[in-house]
Amino acid sequence: MGKINKITLKEAAGLIKDGDMLSFSGFTIWRRPMALIYELVRQGKKDLHLFEVNGGTHTEVLAGAGCVKIWESCWVGHELYGKLGESVARGQVEGSILVEDYSHAQCVARLLAGAYGLPFFPTALSMGTDILNPKYDMLGKAGLRDGSNPKIPLKKYDTIADPMYDMGNILLMPAANANWALIYAQQIGDEGTVRVLAQTYVDVEAIKAADKVIVIAEEIVPDSYLRDDPAMNIAPGYAIDYVVEQPYGAHPTGSQFCYDCDADFIRMFYAASKSADGYKKFADEWIFGVDGFDGYLEKLGANRLLKLKANSVMGYSTTMKRGTR
Amino acid sequence: MTAKNYAENYKGADLLAVAAAREVNDGDIVFAGTGLPMLAIALAQITNAPNAVCIYEAGSIDGRPLDLPASVGDARCATQSSVAAGLTEAFYGQLHSGYVDLAFLGGAEIDKYGNVNTTVVGDYAAPKKRFTGSGGNPDINSFARRTVFIMVQEKRRFKENVDYITSPGWLIPDWPSGEFKPKKEVYGKFFNGGITAVITNMAVFRFDEDGLMYLDTVHPGFTPEQVKDNCEFDLNISRCKGVTEKPTVEEIDLLYNVVDKDGIFLP
Repeated sequence: MGKINKITLKEAAGLIKDGDMLSFSGFTIWRRPMALIYELVRQGKKDLHLFEVNGGTHTEVLAGAGCVKIWESCWVGHELYGKLGESVARGQVEGSILVEDYSHAQCVARLLAGAYGLPFFPTALSMGTDILNPKYDMLGKAGLRDGSNPKIPLKKYDTIADPMYDMGNILLMPAANANWALIYAQQIGDEGTVRVLAQTYVDVEAIKAADKVIVIAEEIVPDSYLRDDPAMNIAPGYAIDYVVEQPYGAHPTGSQFCYDCDADFIRMFYAASKSADGYKKFADEWIFGVDGFDGYLEKLGANRLLKLKANSVMGYSTTMKRGTR
Repeated sequence: MTAKNYAENYKGADLLAVAAAREVNDGDIVFAGTGLPMLAIALAQITNAPNAVCIYEAGSIDGRPLDLPASVGDARCATQSSVAAGLTEAFYGQLHSGYVDLAFLGGAEIDKYGNVNTTVVGDYAAPKKRFTGSGGNPDINSFARRTVFIMVQEKRRFKENVDYITSPGWLIPDWPSGEFKPKKEVYGKFFNGGITAVITNMAVFRFDEDGLMYLDTVHPGFTPEQVKDNCEFDLNISRCKGVTEKPTVEEIDLLYNVVDKDGIFLP
């Protein structure tokens, strides 16, 4: 019988050190470990190195607070609710954030290598782009590819001629093995078996690739329930190091079969994030001005959360107003 | 065959969505990005291409959404999908393995060879402005047999040279040397195809044998010269074959009352 190591949000954030490399569950504005993200900001983390297949609202919350030193990814924004990642963009233009761009599938290749214990993973996707321009190897230009940081590969990528079937040139993408995967899941068993509902994004790979894994779970359920349908599960308990049970822990991002994205909240955050002052006002009100995540939920109010509540059959809210009609 | 009942009142975005939907062949396996591409594939599936299927990069394969998704990671994408997996399946299991016929994508800037920028304005090493970044745009575009880009027509967006090649067109740098070569040479035996059309609020563009963009049709109310004036590069308008087919009354009705009944992308 396995056993989970259940901790609080404060304890979880306390485990993460300045300079650590993080990766996340989810996809843009879906299933992000927001409750823990806010706590990282509260604890004033610095110099974080984010490797993520794509960015989203969580990235922007961290970047706006000045927690991020390196961002390796391919995209950041809030989908329909905010077209750009303003804080990352500001950091890149001002030079306070080192941005290393890959394509989306190249990021997936890096995570796959990390997940499967390989030093690199081949891909022929996105050849012939400026992503591969040696002039734009930003970590290399910053002198960080000298092997002194075990989380930064010696090369951004490499190219080889296919030695097996003579297909032509193919790219090798270096493994990404974060110190921590911060995962939000709808359910975790009391022995640590993890289940996410609907699309799995890159959660499986992020879990396997990281040294340590913290799961922020909407609910803890009997492991036997999850084991009745093992094909639905994405990870065994022994792959998970810490668990925080936190209802609404992904808000304002969405969680299939639990709640929808809070479009109004994300729009409000996006508008605030367009300036450093705006971000500070947001953080003062919603991060530092509340008593932890419980205070945040209390401030949101039951009515707002109920409107987001997913229809239990459809998996998303069928009562909130989504557009103009 | 009865004459088509063309709509007289429609918006620019409606024509974009309809023109894009008409690019879908029945049976196509389509990989679509967020926004107008979602309208285009959904409209095509209930008009000209009932057997077309859609893959979204967050991992839903052949979904049949009952409500229009607002992004590709949306819970709505997974409704009635044959497989709800993740990005590894979408990018490697479906795209890299060669299933994808048609891609629908967007971009901020494009050049005459169809190279698209969605990353930065200015020099990447010291940019003036950052856009969202590549996302899956170059991945999907590099391996789909045909790619259709949906864009805004402006002189500053249709450039002689884009500031950063995020997504590969027909003449692209072959790294590490950076020598520009035809896409077919850079991709070797991995080559499947590439960008075939660009649809804007003014016109439809296609690419010639040398991979150069030319004007195919102008939308109603515009002239080829106006379109040329909205390109920084010297646009070939000699092959323009006339006016883009207008949306029909039925297509507009379907767009507003079925596909985007909540008014998410078409307010």
